[in-house]
Amino acid sequence: MAGDLGFREVEHTADRAFTVRGRNLAELFAHAAHALCAIQGQPAGTQQTVRREVEVSGVDRETLLVNWLNEILYLQDVHRESYSGFEVIAISDTSLRASLRGEPSASSRRTIKAVTFHGLEIERLSDAWEATIVVDV
Amino acid sequence: MGKPAPSRAIAKSDFRRVSEQVWELPRDFRDDMRAPARLYADEALLEAALTDNSVEQLVNTSTLPGIVKYAIAMPDIHQGYGFPIGGVVATRLPQGIISPGGVGYDINCGVRLLASEASVEEISPFLGDLASALYHNCPSGVGVHGEIKLQDAELDKVLVEGARWARRRGLARDEDLEHTEEFGAMPGADPEYVSHRARERGRGQIGTLGAGNHFIEVDAVTAVYDETAAERLGLLPGQAVVQIHCGSRGFGHQVCEDYVARFQKTVHDYGIELPDRELVCAPFESEEGQQYFRAMACAANFAFANRQALAHYIRRSFEEVLAGKVPAFDLHQVYDIAHNMAKIEEHEVGGTRMQLCVHRKGATRAFGPGSPGLPDDLRDLGQPVLIPGSMGTASYVLIGTRGSMEQTFGSTCHGAGRVWSRTRAKKTVRGQDLRQELESRGIAVRAGSMPGLAEEAPQAYKDVSRVVDVVERAGIGKKVARLEPIAVVKG
Repeated sequence: MAGDLGFREVEHTADRAFTVRGRNLAELFAHAAHALCAIQGQPAGTQQTVRREVEVSGVDRETLLVNWLNEILYLQDVHRESYSGFEVIAISDTSLRASLRGEPSASSRRTIKAVTFHGLEIERLSDAWEATIVVDV
Repeated sequence: MGKPAPSRAIAKSDFRRVSEQVWELPRDFRDDMRAPARLYADEALLEAALTDNSVEQLVNTSTLPGIVKYAIAMPDIHQGYGFPIGGVVATRLPQGIISPGGVGYDINCGVRLLASEASVEEISPFLGDLASALYHNCPSGVGVHGEIKLQDAELDKVLVEGARWARRRGLARDEDLEHTEEFGAMPGADPEYVSHRARERGRGQIGTLGAGNHFIEVDAVTAVYDETAAERLGLLPGQAVVQIHCGSRGFGHQVCEDYVARFQKTVHDYGIELPDRELVCAPFESEEGQQYFRAMACAANFAFANRQALAHYIRRSFEEVLAGKVPAFDLHQVYDIAHNMAKIEEHEVGGTRMQLCVHRKGATRAFGPGSPGLPDDLRDLGQPVLIPGSMGTASYVLIGTRGSMEQTFGSTCHGAGRVWSRTRAKKTVRGQDLRQELESRGIAVRAGSMPGLAEEAPQAYKDVSRVVDVVERAGIGKKVARLEPIAVVKG
């Protein structure tokens, strides 16, 4: 599993997919957000002049994960911002509260249309949580 | 949710060969199948399909409640999410389901073909300027916004009227609407079922191209296979034509997201078990199913209006560059087709006419001669079908056939179909090298992103000619003309 950001990209013919891991659910969700931004080519160390608080819910963990990542894509799109800092402040199986940090991004080069549920299952391993996420590009 | 997919890989020996181009996995191949699964392919394309998870995804679609005949995949099948790309599933109404994942995020992604009065020879001296004008006038990139900004009341009109809205705004001609699937306005659209978020994402994106595999391409007509049909469509050898490939942008993505997330619960409420959560669905006649259908129709109309606005910008670009230099260069619309849609259609199944919800995910409607919904001037000919190839290769114009009505719910393939992942394409091909190679062949390239260009390298796709030959031999499409690119514009 790749270094600090806790994800690795996996092969997918038409779209993009990545496996993400975290020591707990909060870390898994934060790493998934980093992965989403990294595979769009957004550098991890950008300025963090913008801060947004978000609350997301879902009927189960997988729905919560998809809704969280789609929330980030939505905020990127409507505010024309890119994010590189993700702090999951509180999380349960059906809701989370988090803060995003990033910067305005005048030239939108977002490449992901949406995060999918395809084959999605959040697994609890002996020492970590893991999920493989397919995104539509 | 549901039972797990089989752990063993699907092999060629699991298929029964129904005919030279049709391969079938019988209904008892997996316990949860509700119908057999059929794949249109020659041997090489079948083998290519078995290299990723696309055939397993095809089998998954055969579990959808209400499915009739078969789950079908076209020869350009490749791995998607939920449905394979190149998948067709029809469910019987009123009991059958509708699945947002069976349409996908880019609702009414489609292709429009415009044909110029000018020949390639006439426009060639100005090709670089023309490519630059197209790139400048047609904004690209996933989140990019265009020059049209819509308030809610006006956006509602787009969602109900589609390309007819563009006609009122002076962005379309009557003939454009006549030569567009659903005449440019999908019935049943109701903006009440569209979220505020979808509106926010869509309001600035009419007249924008997007990214990924979306493009504008100027092509030459390099071969005509059916002179009569080509003449009826206004296509001549050596003529310059323009293809637009794009869809409903952030608006459609959000509509799909909204309903796929909502249906995660709905599917349990209706006791539907599925092998993949992306296939979530609801009975078509249920409140949830109807709300999705009406929101999807809004997104479809957004896409028709979007391609119409782009067509207007393309005409403007031709005017800017060619006026006073080329005697006649006007662009008439050959046709506009959707390849991600769920539609209510009547088809014959086992000798009975029945109303179906036909999901086409990366597949094109290909109605045969005499079918309802065709323009008056083409009704006896059949529906034009536009099959874009990979960048730098060829594209095809086909017409729908009686065979497509009998075999595939009036459907055929939609493109070449990927074989390489985007990661592999970028590792293997440098965008700058690809651009130079295309330009050395006389193709002008304007692209916003070199890695994005590399992802769409022709090597990453199947041979479109082989795909089209399969559908023609199977009788689900008839070749009319071949197009080859002379200028490519990408996000």
